[in-house]
Amino acid sequence: MQVFQIHYRNTQGTLMRILNAASRRGLDLPWVQAGPAAHDHQVALELDVNSKQVGQLYREWYAIADVIHVGSGAAPAQAQEWNGAHPPAGVPMQEGRSAARA
Amino acid sequence: MLRGAEITLACLRAEGVELVFGYPGGAIMPLYDALDGSGIRHVLTRHEQGAVFAAEGYARVTGEVGVAIATSGPGATNLITGIADAKMDSVPLVCITGQVRSPLIGTDAFQETDVFGVTLSLTKWSRLVRTLDEIPEVIAEGFHWARSGRPGPVVIDIPTDLLKAKKEFSGPVKFTPHARPAGAKAEGGFTDTIVAMLQAAKKPVALVGAGAKLSGAIPDLRRLFDHLNIPSFATVHGLGAIPPEAPHYLGMVGMHGTRAANTALHETDLLLVFGARLDDRVTGEPTRFAPHAKIVHFEIDPAQLDRVRPCDLAVIGNLADTIPAFEAELRRHRSLPDFKEWRGVACGAERAELDPRGLAQPTIRFLDELFSRLPEDSVVIADVGQHQMWAAQRYRSSSPRGFITSGGLGAMGFALPAAVGVQLAKPDTCVLCVSGDGGFQMNIQELATVHRLNLPIKLVIIDNKYLGMVRQWQQLFYERNYAETDLSDNPDFVEIAKAYRIHSFRMKEDTMREFPVSNETGDQIDRFLNSTEPELLVFDCAPEANVYPMVPAGAALSEMLLEEEPAE
Repeated sequence: MQVFQIHYRNTQGTLMRILNAASRRGLDLPWVQAGPAAHDHQVALELDVNSKQVGQLYREWYAIADVIHVGSGAAPAQAQEWNGAHPPAGVPMQEGRSAARA
Repeated sequence: MLRGAEITLACLRAEGVELVFGYPGGAIMPLYDALDGSGIRHVLTRHEQGAVFAAEGYARVTGEVGVAIATSGPGATNLITGIADAKMDSVPLVCITGQVRSPLIGTDAFQETDVFGVTLSLTKWSRLVRTLDEIPEVIAEGFHWARSGRPGPVVIDIPTDLLKAKKEFSGPVKFTPHARPAGAKAEGGFTDTIVAMLQAAKKPVALVGAGAKLSGAIPDLRRLFDHLNIPSFATVHGLGAIPPEAPHYLGMVGMHGTRAANTALHETDLLLVFGARLDDRVTGEPTRFAPHAKIVHFEIDPAQLDRVRPCDLAVIGNLADTIPAFEAELRRHRSLPDFKEWRGVACGAERAELDPRGLAQPTIRFLDELFSRLPEDSVVIADVGQHQMWAAQRYRSSSPRGFITSGGLGAMGFALPAAVGVQLAKPDTCVLCVSGDGGFQMNIQELATVHRLNLPIKLVIIDNKYLGMVRQWQQLFYERNYAETDLSDNPDFVEIAKAYRIHSFRMKEDTMREFPVSNETGDQIDRFLNSTEPELLVFDCAPEANVYPMVPAGAALSEMLLEEEPAE
């Protein structure tokens, strides 16, 4: 497993293009975290890749218009568990409508 | 106050757009309403795929950005194949699509499709416009990305309410690109490394692809190749970059490349690549591609490096910069080995003797007759299939943009609408469109566009009543199980063309059995090529004619099949 950190301008579709470079190669995305970083945005992805794919991914990410920098590092510590309700379903219809009105 | 539609068109004009191809529909109606008086000519095709291929044809032959317009939903999804085609073949293309009203986006409204999402992986850049204010910036940036670096397709999706809304318009804007990451440029001194590699090499070769043509560096490339004087060849999109009469030129390389080119590429110990992706149709089995070679890759797009085989030296940058720099440096200081012995083997008579040019079957002879009678600056557009490869093998043009085809995606139905775009871009040029009977029917409706505009395109159908290339594979690799490739119940193309009010006639294969062809046949071909109106010529091709040489899937280039194996 390898972690990639990609700095990008948070323009429409840039994050999706970054992720697509992995998904089009059939790579699983077990861990992804994206958010603001300094003046731009950063996404970190954990991927199981071989050395040839690393080179391809670097170059393909750099070819995306709003990617600023690509870096990589060791696998992250366990990703933090998601504590929110998931999926946000199971709310009775009437209750949901009340909430919406409120 | 201008409507969003008028602002959009004004911004297109500011980008130099004079001609667009499209098909109207609900969400894009405001743009069509504003066309009159915009200074932009609109060509109505009969299908959105026809529009995008026509825009591609225009872009491929001019190097300018092609523009296609479609409505939301099905109109936009009909553009998809052309967008994918433009991505694969590095064609500068901007598609403007109408979208449902902003408040309806995401509600599965009538004719709503997530065009932005659907095209995300096929485009170089795209935007769903969210406010009227951003239209000028989006169009300026879209055109920048379409034409800069490695060119490619851009989609701009504009909700119909924004096209209708009005605002003060202060004029088009210029886009200033963000600074790109450092390091993606050729380092100085690469010439030293390449010279050292050349001095150590015994069998160097040079391969040219579309990138060299797109860069506009062809004169420099030709001087460089003449100076290097090593065996050279081209991918299907590189055809025309090297003059066919150059003594070092061996023709097209790859799955249906010449024996001489493929053999030299397999034997080489140093491969210089200029603007080619090295895709699987060029390399054959990647693990056995140029097995003894070090590779030097001149490329503008770093994403294209090492896709198939790692290169030993990458020279990253616009070939318009790197080729002249390399050429000038070589001329100034360097003496290179004379590879006379290797040239003698690679370009020698022994290999040329078995080249398919000496084994002409009637269809190949027919294409030879056509091509030999074309004016020098003609443009040949080939569809996809056997006829495409025959045309690529036989058309020997010195014009870098003289042979146009859907090479990377291999999209059947490309040629006829692309020819519309080419002929509109080059009204005084002879445009020859070669299709198969399968592909022609995929965009046959564009005969109506040809007729309406009275475009003097010379249309040829190589009619073998099969999906010929698939059938060839079925014959060779699926024990002649011709599953669903039989088109023997084809319509009468001559009558169909007549219904579109296009003059048409049929030519039998037998006319090509005598060599040289009879005066009558020659005159018929000349009349066809010299006509000032659209013409269709249907050539009856033997149903089981095959394209050779052929490198079977999974084989090395050295394992090409050269001809039919005798039946047992």
